[in-house]
Amino acid sequence: MSVIEPALLSLTEVASAIAQNKISSREATQSCLDRTAKWQPSLNAFMSIEADAALTAADAADVALAKGQSRGALHGVPLAHKDMYYDEGHVVTCGSQIRRDWVATTTSTALQRLKDAGSVRLGSLQMVEFAYGPTGHNAHYGAVHNPWHVDHVTGGSSSGSGSAVAARLTFAALGSDTGGSIRLPAHFCGVTGLKTTVGLVSRAGAMPLSQSLDTVGPLARTVQDCALVTGLMAGFDPLDPTTSTRAVPDYMAATKASAKGMTVGIPKAFYVEDLDADTARILQDTIATLKREGINVVEVDLLDQRQLSAACQLLIVTEAAAIHKRWMIERPQDYGPQILARLQNGFGISGVSYLETMRWRGPALAAHLAAVIGTDAVLAPVSPIAAPTIVETDVGNSMGAEAMIQRLTRFTRPINYLGLPSLSIPAGFAASNLPVGMQLIGRPFDESTVLTIGAAFQRATDFHKKCPEMT
Amino acid sequence: MTAPTPKQIKTIADVGGLVVADDVAERIAHAIGPAYDGFAAVAGTLPMDLEPATFLVVQNTKAAK
Repeated sequence: MSVIEPALLSLTEVASAIAQNKISSREATQSCLDRTAKWQPSLNAFMSIEADAALTAADAADVALAKGQSRGALHGVPLAHKDMYYDEGHVVTCGSQIRRDWVATTTSTALQRLKDAGSVRLGSLQMVEFAYGPTGHNAHYGAVHNPWHVDHVTGGSSSGSGSAVAARLTFAALGSDTGGSIRLPAHFCGVTGLKTTVGLVSRAGAMPLSQSLDTVGPLARTVQDCALVTGLMAGFDPLDPTTSTRAVPDYMAATKASAKGMTVGIPKAFYVEDLDADTARILQDTIATLKREGINVVEVDLLDQRQLSAACQLLIVTEAAAIHKRWMIERPQDYGPQILARLQNGFGISGVSYLETMRWRGPALAAHLAAVIGTDAVLAPVSPIAAPTIVETDVGNSMGAEAMIQRLTRFTRPINYLGLPSLSIPAGFAASNLPVGMQLIGRPFDESTVLTIGAAFQRATDFHKKCPEMT
Repeated sequence: MTAPTPKQIKTIADVGGLVVADDVAERIAHAIGPAYDGFAAVAGTLPMDLEPATFLVVQNTKAAK
């Protein structure tokens, strides 16, 4: 194959190239490892790099393929994931000191399904401690750096996933999204990310943060890549009784469908307020592109998103505190100060308040669905701003950091409360040359529609093809 | 619904099994106050027969486009 660097291929391209013997799994794996060796010192994206084991597995994949034994759609494709997906026999730190040496005795369903499709393990990716933070800071392992500008945050909590996919160190990576943890790194790092509907993908064997809100999803370079990974993972799992029993649609087919004649809603308020000039411009550019692709654009009047965001916050802090209570009592010194403080917040919420947020989810979702009748999806910025610097979002060392964090997460939490799918797509660049993403918000279990619109957008633009260069 | 005071938070946390110092209770009150305020218009307005699993019912009802 005439590709100089296999790591620069998309997931679907490399999977196809390996399947057709155009490149070997070893070549793809070595290419990712070579890039990782160069980038890791400046990015800190990987938690562990398992070069020898990855190459051994790649060789085994090549031998199997030579015998005509393909394991599946990801045969021989090297991947690394957020270090919170249990993988039997491997240390899974969850970004924490508490689990620094903890070895998983089971494998998460999501990860197992990707393994069953033939993927090769490259190692594991950095993350915010216990997935509880939106910037990418980590008191134990250091901040992950944005490959577009290493002084800037990656977003979190899937910080390593965003950074590694953007720098082309892995073809895709699992993240998790409880309050924005897939969409924020996708936005800040210029990659594509899919927050799935609550209940679409099993959370069994995935570290919990808030069991009512946690979702599993991919970060990758293209909408098609996200569709491929999601299609492999989705579907009922007896180990996670909250998973839906409905049939999994053909998401890859959805990315090839026409979006012409579809209708996208633009919120009249909230998501169009407090945007910096770059984000406001890119929102308008995105709307113009969608129109050129034959997509109708209308305004929508959503319910008060501040109430949804508030309910989401009350819910997360309470459930996270309950999950961590034992360690908070027995070994509080082992948490980073930011994470401990966030967990302590949950002990200020009464049981009545918590249950009120749970009871309102149904009516709130019904009201949202009524508000978006006549549209196929809603378009909104992922965040009002491009990536801030690591220093200015360091809560321990920067005045105003907390206010900055509240601002950059305000557009993601309402979607988590409603449990909706949301696809984050690279949509342009700020004057600082930092990427800016937009999110397409769909109906429950209707990932197909946002994938169709997102793929149409990526056929018309090349923002997702831009690759940061090492300086 | 009003946001709890630091004194109330100390009590709630204590009942929950976590002893917090005065300054921590103060910080928690400051941190969760905006969320309480944001949810205040909803709190106390929900009908008696509404149960949390309604979310799953709505989620699984085919939504009109």
